[in-house]
Amino acid sequence: MGPYADLRAFLDALDKHKQLLHITDRVALEPDVAAAACALTKLGESSPAIEFTDIGGYANARLVMNVHGSWPNHALALGLEPDASPREQFERFVEGYQRYPGELERVSDAPWQENVVDHDINLYELMPLFRLNRGDGAMFIDKPCVVSRDPDDPDNDDVENVGVYRLQVKGRNRLGIQTVPQHDIAIHLAHAEERGEDLPVAIALGNDPLITLMAATPMLYDQLEYRMAAAVQGHPYQVVRTSTGLDVPRGSEFVLEGRILARHREMEGPFGEFPGYYSGCHEYPVIEIDRVFHRTDPIFDAVYVGRPWTEIDYLQAMTTSAPIFVQLHEAFPEVTAVNALYTHGLVVIVSTGTRYGGFAKAIGMRLLTTSHGLGYATMVIVVDEDVDPFNLAQVMWAMSVKVNPASDVMILPNLSTNLLNPAGQPTGVIHKMIIDATTPVAPDVRGDYGEELDTPQTTDAWRARLATMIKELRG
Amino acid sequence: MTVDDGAADRPTACPRCRSTTVGVQATSPVPGVWTLFSCSTCLYTWRSTEPAENTDPDHYPEAFRLTPDQLATLPVAPTIPPLRAGDAPGGS
Ligand SMILES: [Zn+2]
Repeated sequence: MGPYADLRAFLDALDKHKQLLHITDRVALEPDVAAAACALTKLGESSPAIEFTDIGGYANARLVMNVHGSWPNHALALGLEPDASPREQFERFVEGYQRYPGELERVSDAPWQENVVDHDINLYELMPLFRLNRGDGAMFIDKPCVVSRDPDDPDNDDVENVGVYRLQVKGRNRLGIQTVPQHDIAIHLAHAEERGEDLPVAIALGNDPLITLMAATPMLYDQLEYRMAAAVQGHPYQVVRTSTGLDVPRGSEFVLEGRILARHREMEGPFGEFPGYYSGCHEYPVIEIDRVFHRTDPIFDAVYVGRPWTEIDYLQAMTTSAPIFVQLHEAFPEVTAVNALYTHGLVVIVSTGTRYGGFAKAIGMRLLTTSHGLGYATMVIVVDEDVDPFNLAQVMWAMSVKVNPASDVMILPNLSTNLLNPAGQPTGVIHKMIIDATTPVAPDVRGDYGEELDTPQTTDAWRARLATMIKELRG
Repeated sequence: MTVDDGAADRPTACPRCRSTTVGVQATSPVPGVWTLFSCSTCLYTWRSTEPAENTDPDHYPEAFRLTPDQLATLPVAPTIPPLRAGDAPGGS
């Protein structure tokens, strides 16, 4: 399985695993598309992706949603079997992440070069744009890979950036962009604006599933997402260079070339965002699109964002957990796994071995000082290494029997959090909490812990045997 | 390019800010299915076929309405950095 050369190859794989629904009846862009995507998120953790092929007002537009929106789909994107557990997907992601860098392979031809529009661009005609949530101020492109370079260091591939930033469609060839200050594109834009120059960007839409995950992963400034995708897939990543010198995935469905206008801001928003609330309105930068390339009968890919869990939570699940784990594990090799699945890691669960009494609390504090901890993590739950942090039943057991609130809950006042965290007071500042749900060890001799239950001999062998039998039984 | 064949039923006010600065951005590639409007004051965009809460000022949800005062005081992000000494502004 994998790597997938493009979105189409991945959709074929989803089809093969019965993870893609085809809606061939006519649908209206509003409210049908968002409603169907939202409904899928309410049908469990194995929801398929969904493809619409008869969209009111378009002759032959194709629109897919929920492509990453379940554990089976996410597993397939990583090249795993669809029944891989979240823990296995975490291990796979971390293993790939630590192989950085893989190889970037430049090729000259791409299917998206088949069609080019360089005058009278009208994005509303070229792609089936639609309103996602009723209070959104416009139609948004919410699953793009936005590519930019540092104008102060334009030939350095390592500081080229591929990121997912929401784009408000403001006119036929005009977009608004949210450039999160901590993200690399904000550095590129600042350098361009100090020079008084527009910042060239390329916007790739309808991509293979891995590059979207990489673009959503916080990396170091000098790590290139394409090289990370290559590392994770164990195979060079193919890109094509645009006329403005930007590298774009060979497999994209649409490529939009444009510029962020220098020293210009304009009203943007609101947009329903990942914490489950609408963002407010801001003055954000603006992009003008000069050229649009697309495959013949291109497929438009969008992500539904609603009250968690929805597809966006899968996009920021392992992509958030793995970088925190790597940083934490560097400081404390006892750490075995990090679950930062909840609302982009506002809540994080860490499992760790315990060196000596009080150790788990130090792990919690270190987590709060990782780069993601500084901006997001508000509550940290630390569990023993034999508790799978991705198995909430196990985590709740640990919380039930290993926490004495008198001394296992630490509240740290007035630390930094993300501006999108609605609980901040004032915005961007919040108290944080560490819950130590590990078993106390000497010299921390609190509680009355006897012998813990374990499993009978040969349970593991039986587990493997029975799992195979159950699979066969269900065909 | 003019794409103005939806002009006959063009709304007179923006559902969100009630400005009269309303224009047509697009019509459906298959003619006659929908028209897409936008407001040049608040950049709100809507399609003629959306539910009334997104197309009709009287049904537009209270919580999302905007007034000209609010538009004038929006936070700017990111802030625009000073020009480097000696760099003449280029840009678009
Ligand atoms: Zn308006």
